[in-house]
Amino acid sequence: MTLVAASAVPSVKAARAWRARPGLMIAGALAFCAIVYLLPMLSLFGWAFQGPTGSGASLAQLSRLIGDDTYHYAFFTTFEIAAITTLICALIGYPYAYLMATTGPRLAMLLTAAVMIPFWTSVLARSLAWMILLGRKGVVNEWLTGLGLLERPAALLFNSIGVQIGMVHVLLPFMVLPIWSILSRLDPGLPRAARSLGASPAAAFIHVTLPLSLPGLAAGATLVFMFAIGFYITPALLGGPNDLTIASLIEMVVRDLLDWPFGAMLSLALLGLVALVFACGAAFAGAGRIAGIEGR
Amino acid sequence: MTDRSGLSRRSILLGGAGASLTIASPFVHVTPARADKGEIVVAGWGGSRTTAMREVMFTPFEKATGIRVRDDGPPEAAKVKAMVDSGNITWDILDTDIPAILAMVNAKLLEPIDYSKLDKARLGKIPPVLHHPYGLGHLIYSFNIVYNTKAFPNGTQPKTWADVWDGVKFKGARSFPFRGGLSPQLEFAAIADGVPADKVYPLDIERAWASHDKLRPLVTKWYANHAEAIQLLSSGEIDICCTIGPRGLVAKKDGAPIDVEFAGGKLAPDNWAIVKGARNADAVYQFLNFVIDGKVQAELAKRIPYGPSSQDAFAHLSEAEAKQLNTSPDNLAKQFWTDIDWWGKTAENGKTNNENQIERYARWMVKRG
Repeated sequence: MTLVAASAVPSVKAARAWRARPGLMIAGALAFCAIVYLLPMLSLFGWAFQGPTGSGASLAQLSRLIGDDTYHYAFFTTFEIAAITTLICALIGYPYAYLMATTGPRLAMLLTAAVMIPFWTSVLARSLAWMILLGRKGVVNEWLTGLGLLERPAALLFNSIGVQIGMVHVLLPFMVLPIWSILSRLDPGLPRAARSLGASPAAAFIHVTLPLSLPGLAAGATLVFMFAIGFYITPALLGGPNDLTIASLIEMVVRDLLDWPFGAMLSLALLGLVALVFACGAAFAGAGRIAGIEGR
Repeated sequence: MTDRSGLSRRSILLGGAGASLTIASPFVHVTPARADKGEIVVAGWGGSRTTAMREVMFTPFEKATGIRVRDDGPPEAAKVKAMVDSGNITWDILDTDIPAILAMVNAKLLEPIDYSKLDKARLGKIPPVLHHPYGLGHLIYSFNIVYNTKAFPNGTQPKTWADVWDGVKFKGARSFPFRGGLSPQLEFAAIADGVPADKVYPLDIERAWASHDKLRPLVTKWYANHAEAIQLLSSGEIDICCTIGPRGLVAKKDGAPIDVEFAGGKLAPDNWAIVKGARNADAVYQFLNFVIDGKVQAELAKRIPYGPSSQDAFAHLSEAEAKQLNTSPDNLAKQFWTDIDWWGKTAENGKTNNENQIERYARWMVKRG
């Protein structure tokens, strides 16, 4: 509700009339979402519960998904990549956000820009850039061997190292921003009060700041994890044979095999997992904070 | 939306109120309005390939017949399925490969080609192996050993598939395709294991996979599309690659340190295929008869180095031009044809060999070790 009121354009008569009837605006938005989002989603359900010949309702696709361990492996790999990415993002993102929230305005601006500018660049462009940087004859290896730190170029590409570097780079802003949003609104008097009562800086952080910022961390972790399990481009470009994700397999099933019912079932399974992750995150952080409509 | 449904600016003006009504209602199904002489839409791969086709095929055909040719693409099978399923068919002819055709035949998305409507003399110059019931081979690509010339200077390169499988004698990073329909290296795996190229079909699947297992540790990158493969080779990230030879030749022409070994290559056609429900069958066959002419194909081959399917084309090409093409008589003799029938054959489980091997490939890839 507050969202609608805040985004309405003020000072125009028509806008005032709209504001009087927010229901109409919401109905329009809902109709739009229903057409472009809900209807295709329903047809996804339709396909997923089709028989192999396309005749009648059936659980054939589901039992195929359950019975074929190829897809279990792929789901496992996808989860593993997503979990590691989330962990690394949290380890880098939390101190970064803390610095952003507590430093002077000039450095804070610089840190914000460093997070936001890559954020506005296409994922494809950034993944390709990493291919150039991390390659056997890429910039990073040239430096490392040139400085004598390595004898032979390190394998940084086409393995999980490459995937993690690329994915952390792409997803880090989703971790930093929710944590920063909470830390920046935290009353600086609280840790100060703890210190005045004799707590060491570390103790003040562990017992006051950290617990208060946990919802931001949970929101960031949920966002990063949700995006990471649906990721396609970065693992496909930077990964090796052991980094085949479920998104790549869905593409194969839909494009090469034209097996849309099974593709739909795989997509639904992925969607269900994303929903599950969202629900877990929401339990810790609140759904609104993850969706970004609260806590700014 | 308007462009896809075939509305030209003129027909919008002529249509007046009616046309503006169709534009105003984007959710109403629009039947394409075609010009009098007819119009066909060819879905192809775009880029320099489509530019060359427009120069030597589309524009001359328009001049000769008055039938307008529009191009669109890429000819994704999934998109054809969406068109046929929804009844909103905006493409007539596809320029696409065999894996896509097999998938589309299975999903009943194509019209069979009526060979009686094609010019006998011109058709006779195209090898019978390319007369598929649903696709007429016109532009030949081939999977070849493509290598970086800095890693393998002066004839030290791997010349056979057994060499490619030999990681001791031929050091260097390999890249092989993953996805993109057929599993093209299965034949090569069999050949590397000692099966003669002319006896490779029917493929001994288990023997091929056993040989394929030996390749795994040598492969640095399983690439997803051929442009990526050429990029990896040019940058020196990869030393040996199994990819489309003609693409390697394009990169070589542009100055990349790349060369192609035609020996042992697997030839495969890109085909003309007709979308189910294509509106103007007469125009479609006029177009096909025009573009299977050897002279037209020769002109195309001068612009893009893919092999012409018509052997008549070589009468219109110089020796130097012919040498670069994978279907020149010399190069043809060193290579073998993909057996489309074998890949399209239905196996015991009701799926085609193609589908089964794609799935097995995915399984092989995700299971570690």
